[in-house]
Amino acid sequence: MSFLERIAPPEIISTNGHLIDSLFMYTTVMATIFFIFVCLGLFGFSYKYSAKRNKKVDYTYGNRKKQLKATLLIGILVFVVIDLTITYRSNNDMIAEFWNFPKADEDITRIEVLAQQWMWNFRHAGADGEFNTADDVLSNHDLHIPVGKKVEFRITSKDVIHSLFFPNARIKVDAMPGRISRLWFEPTKTGVYDIACAEMCGTHHYKMQAKLHVHSPEDYAAWKAEAEQLAIIGNDTENIDNYWGWQWETSGKEDLAKNSENDESVVMKENN
Amino acid sequence: MTYAHGKHAAPTTFLSKYVFSYDHKVIGKQFLWYGIFFLGIGGMMALLIRWTLAFPGEAFPVLGPLLFPYTDGVVPPDTYSMLFTLHGTIMIFFAITPILIGAFGNYCIPLMIGARDMAFPLFNMLSFHIAVISGVLLLASLFTPMGGAAGGWTSYPTLSTLVGSPGSGQTLWCLSIFVLGVSSTMGAVNYITTVICFRAPGMGYFDMPLTIWGLWLTAILNAIFLPVLGAGVMLLTFDRVFGTTFFLAGAAATSGSGDPILFQHVFWIFGHPEVYILILPAWGMVSDFLSFFARKPAFGAKATALSMTTITILSTLVYGHHMFTTQMSPLLTQTFMTLTMTISIPSAILFANWLGTLYKGSIRFDSPMLFSLGVVFVFGLGGLTGLYLGTVSTDLYLHDTYFVVGHFHYTMAASVLLGGFAGTYFWFPKMFGRMMDEKLAKIHFWITMIGLNGVFMGMMVVGFAGMHRRLYNPFVYEFLEKLIPINKFITYSALLMGVGQLPFVWNFVYSLYKGKKAPQNPWEVGTLEWTIPSPPIHYNFEEIPTVKCGPHEFGNPNLKDGRDFQYQTEELV
Repeated sequence: MSFLERIAPPEIISTNGHLIDSLFMYTTVMATIFFIFVCLGLFGFSYKYSAKRNKKVDYTYGNRKKQLKATLLIGILVFVVIDLTITYRSNNDMIAEFWNFPKADEDITRIEVLAQQWMWNFRHAGADGEFNTADDVLSNHDLHIPVGKKVEFRITSKDVIHSLFFPNARIKVDAMPGRISRLWFEPTKTGVYDIACAEMCGTHHYKMQAKLHVHSPEDYAAWKAEAEQLAIIGNDTENIDNYWGWQWETSGKEDLAKNSENDESVVMKENN
Repeated sequence: MTYAHGKHAAPTTFLSKYVFSYDHKVIGKQFLWYGIFFLGIGGMMALLIRWTLAFPGEAFPVLGPLLFPYTDGVVPPDTYSMLFTLHGTIMIFFAITPILIGAFGNYCIPLMIGARDMAFPLFNMLSFHIAVISGVLLLASLFTPMGGAAGGWTSYPTLSTLVGSPGSGQTLWCLSIFVLGVSSTMGAVNYITTVICFRAPGMGYFDMPLTIWGLWLTAILNAIFLPVLGAGVMLLTFDRVFGTTFFLAGAAATSGSGDPILFQHVFWIFGHPEVYILILPAWGMVSDFLSFFARKPAFGAKATALSMTTITILSTLVYGHHMFTTQMSPLLTQTFMTLTMTISIPSAILFANWLGTLYKGSIRFDSPMLFSLGVVFVFGLGGLTGLYLGTVSTDLYLHDTYFVVGHFHYTMAASVLLGGFAGTYFWFPKMFGRMMDEKLAKIHFWITMIGLNGVFMGMMVVGFAGMHRRLYNPFVYEFLEKLIPINKFITYSALLMGVGQLPFVWNFVYSLYKGKKAPQNPWEVGTLEWTIPSPPIHYNFEEIPTVKCGPHEFGNPNLKDGRDFQYQTEELV
């Protein structure tokens, strides 16, 4: 294995993972250019103006107008050329992709995730399409999703803070007790990939891994049909460990409005 | 400032001279020994961590069987968590803080501003004694039944509450940090007051050496933000001991739910300024040393001081970039990202001024200068790699990977360590009246430089390849298996760096007793501490000096008597 292969990040399997790599590369190029200037100054001046070669120093405080302007110019140049550019690009990527969560009516794969010491629990909605019902498909350590379709995760934790990390999709989000966080990506390639916990969560943090199985639509349909059958037969209603799901709240202004209307209607009914 | 009450006689007994001393010079040295002691412990812990990452499941040579008899010398996973937790805690709070701030702050501030002692000598003494109590608490935590704290130096709840760390080690850790906060706050209040009130007559703020600027700004940040951390760990202690639920949520929050993220806010409000607390003294020293050894006035000294002040202010406004993955609101995230980026303006000005100082100088490569140039190099790398982590989208991938570890070691460990060594080599003659060996110092510099770049550059490389932090055995993940050789390289570099410290230790101890007697002003520098004998007399100055020019007067063409510098007590020629 060549050195470059060895240090390469894992293969990208999402539609937007390349955005992160390309911004990384852009930052690297800009930072390298700037650092080369620093090194030129550092080593060049050290060589040229060493006490052996240069006895007479330039007696200046560096506070002449020209010098101050040059200094400030360097500061602003760095800010505009590197910082503002990457901030602008990053912000655009976030708004267009990573914060642009699937809409409520989109046809996507929805999965609820519960992190615990030291295991990942996954929940598919099951045959009825509703979460937190008796026919939900539960799995741990193995997550099955179809390729070419957005998948949205809603994540929480039972005990301590964990972090759901898909190295191949270049994203992660913390799993926090008492909160539900969100994450989405769209897989573009079938195969088996690693899922990691990125946040220190105790002694066996390093063992808290799961596998991501990305299936072709047919394989996924077959897996799901079987899993749904097994779920209906096998889900133990007595086992409280299975009772961790919640209703999938849709987001967005319209949905919220709808929800509050519903709430009112509920109240009205109760009053009647 | 006049001393209306006159001077006290110098103490004579061992206790009053070395233990219960009010003398800032002695307290500075106490902090130096204390810091070096913990630096050794923290360094050993780093080697244990590195060994585990390069050779998982193999016994640590020589020391391993003694330390871990039940596993035949292999570091067990729970001990591994304690090691990285305490490595971080010790290096930040018990090694860098006492050396850079405790030792150099105490030793240099009065000498460099022409004062006879600190404003509150009793506070100063207590600040060290309380730091000792804190150190004892921390070390004691290792001997509790379930071992020391193991939740990372950030000790995020709920892992650091009883949910994740039931042992009393974590409680002792919290108390230790709280007590250390008291100590540092005392020191900080003392430094701020001393710099404001005790500057020698004639010394304006911009006549202070930049070292003092760095230490003073650090003290201000310390005084404001350490109490925040103190409050945070105290609430955490309440959660652990008294059953409150400030930071509890989830299944364990049976009596009402708090919010673990709240602690992260409290922690990073302190934690981000802490980064600058550690680096500002090093920046100040480097800015001074570059001018001292380039024999040229510091380029844009005023701009450097103001840039450091700007960074101090900005550092309080950017802490959210540590928490991007907790999914804050997009508005907050964008705000923190943009504010973080603005720090690069004053940082770039600092670099421009450092290089401007070298330009057309007449550079002497004495050991303090070598280490200062080293700081410029490693801080360049550390600062620039911060860009990736301040950017939200790249942080999504890099957060909690070894890239972060490499980045903050470049800024907080490499730069600060090299800065600390520069200061040690520079002020050793003043502190102990003897010179250190230049040849050994240069060997020390080059080995350290090669070693630390191997370690921290390697960390960034494996980080970009996806290896995340705090893993006992990263290679249980298939996609990380290919990184074993690079991890071995990092560990060998770390061993090299560790070995590279032996010349320093030998040089330090040998020179202490057998070094060449130091002249009053070995580096030919004009700041006030070099106008008095080495080591200085009790109460430093026979007469309080009057300052007539700035600290960086080198190469003035009007100087006629063969010197290329002038003392701050002399009228500008």
